[in-house]
Amino acid sequence: MSQEIVLRTTNLGKRYKNRWAVEDVNLEIHRGDVFGFLGPNGAGKSTTIRMILSLIKPTTGSVELFGHRLETEREKALAKVAGIVEKPDFYLYLSAFRNMEIAGALTLGRAPGKKRIMDSMALVGLQDRADDRVKTYSHGMKQRLGIAQALLCNPDLIVLDEPTNGLDPQGMKEVRELIAQLSHEHGITVFLSSHLLNEVEQVATRMAIINKGKLVVQGSVEELLLSRAKRIILNVEPQKKALAVLKKLKRVENPTLDSTGIIANVETKDIPDVVVRLVAAKCRVFSVKPQRSLEEYFLSVTEVE
Amino acid sequence: MFNLIYYELFKTYAKWRTYIGFIAVAVIIPLVMWGMKVEGGRFIQYQMRTLQNDFFITGNLFNGWIIAQLIMNSLWVHVPFLISLVAGDQLAGEATAGTFRLILIRPVSRTSILNSKYVTTLLYTVSLVCAIAALSVGLGLLIFGSGDLLAIDRDMLAILPEAQLWSRFALAYGLAILAMWVVASLAFLFSSFVENAIGPIIATMAVVIGLLIISNLPVESFESVKPYLFTTYQNVWQQAFKNPIDWGNIGKSSSVLVSYSIGFWLVTLFVFRRKDILS
Ligand SMILES: Nc1ncnc2c1ncn2[C@@H]1O[C@H](COP(=O)(O)OP(=O)(O)O)[C@@H](O)[C@H]1O
Ligand SMILES: [Mg+2]
Repeated sequence: MSQEIVLRTTNLGKRYKNRWAVEDVNLEIHRGDVFGFLGPNGAGKSTTIRMILSLIKPTTGSVELFGHRLETEREKALAKVAGIVEKPDFYLYLSAFRNMEIAGALTLGRAPGKKRIMDSMALVGLQDRADDRVKTYSHGMKQRLGIAQALLCNPDLIVLDEPTNGLDPQGMKEVRELIAQLSHEHGITVFLSSHLLNEVEQVATRMAIINKGKLVVQGSVEELLLSRAKRIILNVEPQKKALAVLKKLKRVENPTLDSTGIIANVETKDIPDVVVRLVAAKCRVFSVKPQRSLEEYFLSVTEVE
Repeated sequence: MFNLIYYELFKTYAKWRTYIGFIAVAVIIPLVMWGMKVEGGRFIQYQMRTLQNDFFITGNLFNGWIIAQLIMNSLWVHVPFLISLVAGDQLAGEATAGTFRLILIRPVSRTSILNSKYVTTLLYTVSLVCAIAALSVGLGLLIFGSGDLLAIDRDMLAILPEAQLWSRFALAYGLAILAMWVVASLAFLFSSFVENAIGPIIATMAVVIGLLIISNLPVESFESVKPYLFTTYQNVWQQAFKNPIDWGNIGKSSSVLVSYSIGFWLVTLFVFRRKDILS
């Protein structure tokens, strides 16, 4: 692949006292990716993001943004980067507008114009509350103001640490839609962390899993989640008859009866054929669910916590 | 850099705690003067009457200048407290609020951010001392009138003629700014260590009061450390009322105070550039 690498971490590690919070993390994020950084609580997501955004100094390794080393070329590296680390915090005693102005001036080196600020605030539906103190904002509104603040300076890369954390389902949905919009309409590369597999699955194009500070896998979401979906769970009635049908099919491996239904190994591309055969045999197919090795793995990791 | 300082000033002066100092000054100074007008006059005038028996003194010695000079004694402890309220909050306040995460992920070096905050702290210090100066001299002259200044230097009495007083007081307040600059720098340094502004305020006051006691106690065993304490030089403003003025002493004290301030600033810079933002 000849795609431009927007963010690269090399052997990135952070040690607190004698414990490694993050160890040897090598990430590559290409331009245009929506990169999901998945891991259970305490896995090291925020620590990694803080290192990427220069809030904490790595113990080992380095961060490169747009080809510039963060350590030595900070201004260039961060010029086109925006982000929210953990919850978005603001100067509560100032108006949202002033907060936007301060944040923007630090990135641009001059005050962003009024129109520019109001446009960003309109994008997240806060234009009518611009003159209110942030003190009066709800958590969801602060989250949106955080995104407005991040968008203000036309970044090429946005880094979001668990952007849907603490939001209600409606708020989560809105944020996911906004992320999709950023990527598709504005061409912004997005790096977001999450502890929810289905969230990453829904919004991300590429992903990595981190656990106990170490990277477990990295790749495209499709490759990691879908093509590995060889194992499926079938909810079919009557089960005995269905099992007999499946046993005769060459493309189905090891069909077995389980408390959850019939489990078998089937290539994704063969699933429609298998369903047709079952229907032809007058079996009633209620559901065919891919059981993914990654999901199993991720859940087993999460459950330990 | 101008931009950064502008926004730091904006943030500082939009905060309620910044006005505590000005409000305290605006309330306490008139109160002290009112008290002087009603009560204090008797005491000072009594002393002056005994003097007037021995010397030939003309004019009004219980005037605005002596009141202003009296109020300068607040520079020992009260004004340092007011300054530490703001200086101690500069870095710790951002940590408490979590706003370091908003400003330190920008393409601006931490050095620039820190320096803009330091400049802001100094401007606050200057503005507070100027407010004290304007109010105590202005209101003092208004209420008590002008005249010569009776300066007591150890056992000696000196009368400083009215004509010299504007420049002497300007010098005194200028030197007071240097003395308060050290306090501001110290509070600023403490502010870089912690995530809550209470710590730096208490630590600054503990150090200022503790060292002040050591600097001023006539104890033999303290003599050897006194030259190394910044508090030993903080009373430099009093030099403005000596006759003649000892410029050598002023030069030495000022350079010690400035060196301490710069030293504290450099340590803060060292700490802040390496600090992990965990708030
Ligand atoms: N300041 C700190 N001191 C010591 N350990 C820390 C500190 N911050 C985080 N950790 C540890 O580092 C690990 C990773 O934390 P974090 O990056 O916040 O995880 P995540 O964001 O994935 O939930 C956790 O085990 C946490 O306890
Ligand atoms: Mg986290």
